[in-house]
Amino acid sequence: MRVLIVEDEKSLALEMAEFLGKEGYLIEHAWNIKSAEEKIFVNSYDFILLDLGLPGGDGLTLLSQLKSDATRDDAVIILTARGDLNDRIIGLEAGADDYLPKPFSLTELLARIHAITRRRHKLVTNEVSINGFLLDIKNHRVSFGSVSLNLTNKEFEIFNYLVLNKNRVISRINLTEHVWGDILEVNSDSNFVDVHVKNLRKKLAIHTSIEWFETVRSIGYRINL
Amino acid sequence: MRLQVKLAVYNSLTKVAIITLLGFVILFSINKISIKHLQKRLIEKKEKLIANLSNVEIKDLLTKQGKFTDYNLLKEEYIILQKVKSNDKGSRQHFLTSVRIIEGEEQEYQILTSTFSYSGSNYELELGETMASVAQLDHTISIFTFIILLVAVTLTLVADLTFSKFLLNPFYRIIDQKINKVNDPQNFNYQPIPTSTDDFKILDQSISKLMGKMTKLLVTEKEFIANVSHELLTPISIINTKLENLLNKERLSEEGENKLFSCLKSLGRLKSIINSLLLISRVENKQFIKTDIISTRTAVSEVYEELAHRLLMKQLSFTDASREDFQFEGNQSLFHTLLMNMINNAIKYNVDGGSVIVETERNESGFILRISDTGIGMDATMLKAAFDRFEKFDSIQPESHGLGLAIVKSIADFHELILSIDSQKNVGTRVSILFPK
Repeated sequence: MRVLIVEDEKSLALEMAEFLGKEGYLIEHAWNIKSAEEKIFVNSYDFILLDLGLPGGDGLTLLSQLKSDATRDDAVIILTARGDLNDRIIGLEAGADDYLPKPFSLTELLARIHAITRRRHKLVTNEVSINGFLLDIKNHRVSFGSVSLNLTNKEFEIFNYLVLNKNRVISRINLTEHVWGDILEVNSDSNFVDVHVKNLRKKLAIHTSIEWFETVRSIGYRINL
Repeated sequence: MRLQVKLAVYNSLTKVAIITLLGFVILFSINKISIKHLQKRLIEKKEKLIANLSNVEIKDLLTKQGKFTDYNLLKEEYIILQKVKSNDKGSRQHFLTSVRIIEGEEQEYQILTSTFSYSGSNYELELGETMASVAQLDHTISIFTFIILLVAVTLTLVADLTFSKFLLNPFYRIIDQKINKVNDPQNFNYQPIPTSTDDFKILDQSISKLMGKMTKLLVTEKEFIANVSHELLTPISIINTKLENLLNKERLSEEGENKLFSCLKSLGRLKSIINSLLLISRVENKQFIKTDIISTRTAVSEVYEELAHRLLMKQLSFTDASREDFQFEGNQSLFHTLLMNMINNAIKYNVDGGSVIVETERNESGFILRISDTGIGMDATMLKAAFDRFEKFDSIQPESHGLGLAIVKSIADFHELILSIDSQKNVGTRVSILFPK
């Protein structure tokens, strides 16, 4: 899938490119409004990661230009340090698919991209299989063979996020933010996510050995495949 | 005592003093003048009497009793003439005020005693005139003075109170509207209070100037916080993504991995602080709309759902003892954040197996939502600084950045809610939100 990163902070753009590149995305860069315009109106992309504060203009103008073209259905994720609630609303109203305030975690970005992909392209494979477990992402269900597991919503989200970011250590803070959102001060003690993971592991372990579901001491969790 | 009353009392007292003094002076001089008149009359009478005297008359007068006494019907005046043996020649006279008894009736008289010679004999003539009229005059003047005094004082007091009230009215309006009612210098009303008193104009202008300076400082501070926070977010993003990518490298040692995660954790904390400051600054700058209808009961249950696992973790009991629901207009997500922080604090600073209680109450000042815990509590010093930014007191919560209650405070202010907190060390803390009528 083709991704255009419209971001003037070069090192940030390059890190995003590195991460997404490893996930198999084809990356192109635009460093300012002008080059973004040129690229957007010549090629079409699956994803446009759009920074709002760009040299030469506002990313929102670019977005409305793009959305006024009915033939285009590039998914747009706004990435901005302007975490203002109004900006978020304006951005989503202008037709962005998602809005991710900076600073964001790359794993979170990946999760958002996946979510949009599933939503927009109505993937046939809305199910992910892992070591005998089947994740039905659309209906938030997990089953083992013919047995359906009784997971809570939070447990499912945790499992899904870890599976999506398999082979990576996911820190507690990262996991907390993904599942509960950014509730500021409240999230400062993130150890409580452990309770949920503990319950999740218990429910999974009934069915099979889960040594692939690793607890990384003092950091977080990793699902190894 | 109010200036208005002080001025009135001062004016009245000075008037009392002046009128009293004046009264005494008048009384004294009238007394003197009356006596002088009396004496003048006595001399005139004496001269008239002596001039009209004849041998026959004297003899006639004296032969009867050796001493001649006469007085009129009302004993207002009397006359005594007697022969004295004296070698003195010529006439002498002197006045004296004395009490005389005439027919058993005691009265004070102004008395003129004079001696004179008449055909070789010396006579003493005593003429007396009653002082009753003088005393009466004194009395009348005293009463009159007293009445004037009373009327003057009353009038002055009323007039002064009314006038000073009118005069000081702009002053109190300035105090009320320009100082007491100003919650936020940014909403300060620079419209001058109408007054013709220059002093008050100066006061008004000075306050306006001061407020102007304060607003400027506040705006600068807020802008500074917003800008700095905002500018910090991009570099944090860069570091965050770099660390994440670094973690994906295969060749990392366990120690290296741990250190990188520790960096990410600190970065997460930094981000949380900045976002909290940004939130406070946005709330203070009123960048949120208040058009949602919020129900306190729903809000509490939503927060409970989100925090249920934390209550479980600490084995806390949660009781929603709210008797009634309260609905108000506000910003749903901000109010959620407020409750979230409050209840989370009640959990965070609680003891294992303790409890968190939500109660409501309605009294004359409005609706009250109260959250109590059985936690570690705070002492008086801590309590005083509880809503200050970056204030955290215990080392048990190293990950807290101390902005929770500051966020709560700013959201409460934004919704014009009144927060109060009372706490007892090792007993618990109770935070109340008042929704004023």
